[in-house]
Amino acid sequence: MEKYYGEFGGQYVAESLMNTLAELEKAYEEAIADENFWKEYNYYMKDYVGRENPLYLSQRLTEKYGPKIYLKREDLNHTGAHKINNVIGQILLAKRMGKTKVIAETGAGQHGVATATGAALFNMKCTVYMGKEDIERQSLNVFRMQMLGAEVVSVETGSKTLKDATNEAIRTWAKDAEDTFYVIGSAVGPHPYPAMVKNFQSIISKEARKQILEKEGRLPDAVVACCGGGSNSIGMFAEFLDDKDVKLYGVEAAGLGIETGKHASAMAKGNPGILHGMCSYLLQDDDGNVQLAHSISAGLDYPGVGPEHSYLRDTGRVTYESITDKECMDALMELCRLEGIIPAIESAHALAYVFKLAKTMKKDDIIIMCLSGRGDKDVHTVAAYLDGQDMNK
Amino acid sequence: MENRIENRMNRLQAEGKKAFITYMTAGLPDMETSINIIKAQYEAGVDVIELGVPFSDPVADGPVIQDASYRAIQQGVTLAKIFDMVEELRKSCEVPLVFMMYYNTINHYGLDNFVQKCQNVGIDGLIVPDLPFEEQGLLNTALSKVEGAPYLLQLVSPVSTDRIPMLLENAKGFVYCVSSMGVTGQAAHFHKNVRDYLGKVKSVSKIPVMMGFGIRTAKDVEMFEDIIDGAIVGSYFIKYMEENNYDLQKIKEYISKFKTEF
Repeated sequence: MEKYYGEFGGQYVAESLMNTLAELEKAYEEAIADENFWKEYNYYMKDYVGRENPLYLSQRLTEKYGPKIYLKREDLNHTGAHKINNVIGQILLAKRMGKTKVIAETGAGQHGVATATGAALFNMKCTVYMGKEDIERQSLNVFRMQMLGAEVVSVETGSKTLKDATNEAIRTWAKDAEDTFYVIGSAVGPHPYPAMVKNFQSIISKEARKQILEKEGRLPDAVVACCGGGSNSIGMFAEFLDDKDVKLYGVEAAGLGIETGKHASAMAKGNPGILHGMCSYLLQDDDGNVQLAHSISAGLDYPGVGPEHSYLRDTGRVTYESITDKECMDALMELCRLEGIIPAIESAHALAYVFKLAKTMKKDDIIIMCLSGRGDKDVHTVAAYLDGQDMNK
Repeated sequence: MENRIENRMNRLQAEGKKAFITYMTAGLPDMETSINIIKAQYEAGVDVIELGVPFSDPVADGPVIQDASYRAIQQGVTLAKIFDMVEELRKSCEVPLVFMMYYNTINHYGLDNFVQKCQNVGIDGLIVPDLPFEEQGLLNTALSKVEGAPYLLQLVSPVSTDRIPMLLENAKGFVYCVSSMGVTGQAAHFHKNVRDYLGKVKSVSKIPVMMGFGIRTAKDVEMFEDIIDGAIVGSYFIKYMEENNYDLQKIKEYISKFKTEF
C-alpha cells in the first residue's frame, strides 16, 4: 500500500511501533480483501448503527438560500455522529487480530463514546484519553463513556486538549501494543490509519452518491463537509473524488478569525509539519513547536489535519475554507429554527459555508452537506455562547 | 573531519572501558548553567552528552522529560538559542554532543540549514525518536552533502526483531538500544527478553551498543555488562539534578560514581 499522499503522510513513529504498524497493515489488507469482513461490517452498519441514513432535502433552507440543499444525516446514527462507522470497522479488525483491549483519544468526546460503545458491544476493555480541558467542557460525554464501561483518563500535559490526549494514547500504545489496539478517530496518524479511516468512512459518500442519483438522477454540483482531522469530510468526499464536475469543499474552524491567530485552520497558512506520526499541514510557531488551536467546537480544535486533505488541497481537487465561531453559531441556530434539527457545532461550520456558497449558485444547483453529528452534546456550550460567554476561553 | 563520538568510542574500546552517556534538556535551569553542567560532566568523565532540544509534543518521552521540555519552552529555549549555546561551549569543551530532538523541529528549521549549522557549531550526533529508518531518506541526503555532518544514530527496540540487520547495516557512532517498551523514564523494569535482544543486537553490530531507558545507577545494568558497551541515563539524571538544585559538585559525584562502578 502507498504510505504517502504526495509529500504528506508517512510513518513518523518510534522504532518500537514500526513492527506494530506493519502487523496492522497486513491484517487490514487481509480484512478488506475478505468478503466476510465486509459482511460483518455491513451487518453492524445496518442493524446496529441504523444505516443507511437519509439524504434529506432541506426544504426550508432550500427556499431561503436558492440551490437545493441536501443533508446527509450522519447525526441519526447510533451514538449521534459519523464516528461509529470507523470505530466498528477498526474494532472488527482488532478482534480479528486477537487484541483484547482498545484505547482511543477523544476531543469532543464523540469518538470516545463511539469507541466505548464498540468496546461494550464486542466485550473489550476500553480506555479513552481525553484532555482535562475537554473533560470539563464535554462532561456529558465523559459520563456516557463511563456508563458504557470505559475508563476515561484525564490528560493534563501540554494544552490539555485533543493534541495532548493523542500524544498520551500514542505513548500508551508504544508500551502496550502487544495486546492493545489503538482506535484512531480521525483520518490522521501514521499509515495505514488515514487510509483505513477513509475506507470505513467512505460509506457516507457511497450512500449519498447512490441516494442523490435516485432522487435527482444526477450528481450534485457541490459537496461540503467540516474538517478538523477530517474523517467525516474524507468519507463524504471519497466516492466523489473521481467525479470531476462535483466541487468539493472542506470547512475548517476559523475560531475567532484567522487574523487573530486563535483558530484551528491547519491549512490556512500552509505550513507542513510532523505530528502524530504523519507529515501534513500543521499549526506551528516560529520555532516549530505545535501551536494551540482554537475553536468553539472541541471536535475541530486540532492543530493538524489528515494527510490526504493536505494533498487534496495542494492538487486543487478540494477547496478548503474556514468559518468563524460566530458564523457557525448563527448557522446552528438557523438549522434549529428552520428545520427542527440541532446540529453538532462541528457540522454547523459546514452549514455556515453552505449558506455562503449558495449565494454563488443557481436555483437548480444541488449541494450535499454532511451533517456529521447531532448537537445534544453541545447544548451547554451553545447556552453559554448565547449567554455571551465562550466556555472555551 | 573526525567525529568526536567515534574518537571517544575508539579510545574506550582500546582501553577496554564502557561508555557512560547522560541526557539533559538544554536550557534548564538556564542557558549559562547548562554550559556549566556540560563542562562539569565532561570533567567528571562523561563520554557523550545527549542534549534534549525541547519540543511541544514529545511523544517518545515519559513524564520527567515531558515536564522538563515543557518548562524549557516556557522559558523561551529554542533551537536557535541552543545552537548559540553550543557555539559558546565549543570554545572550551570538546565533549561529544548529540542532539535528541523531534523531527518537526529539524524540518521546520530546514534540513540543509540545520545540518550546516550542526556542523558549524560542532554537533556530533542526532537522535530523532520519531524518525524511523524508513523515513530517514531526506535527512540522510542533507547529511551526506556536508562534510563533518553529525551522525544520525539508530535506535533499536526490543520488538525490532527482524528489522535489526537493516537498522544496523550502515549505522555509525553507536547503537541506542531501548531497554523497555514505550517511553523514556520508566523504572528499571526491562522488557522480558531484554538479554536475548541485546545479545542479538551485539552480534550484528559493528559499532558499540548502548542501552538506555529506565537506568538509574550502574547496578541497574550490571547483569548486562558482558553484552553492552555503555549505558545512557536520562530521566533519572534530570530528576537528580533538580533534587540537588543543579549543584555542579553533586553532578560530578554522580558521573564519577557511575563511571567507576560501571
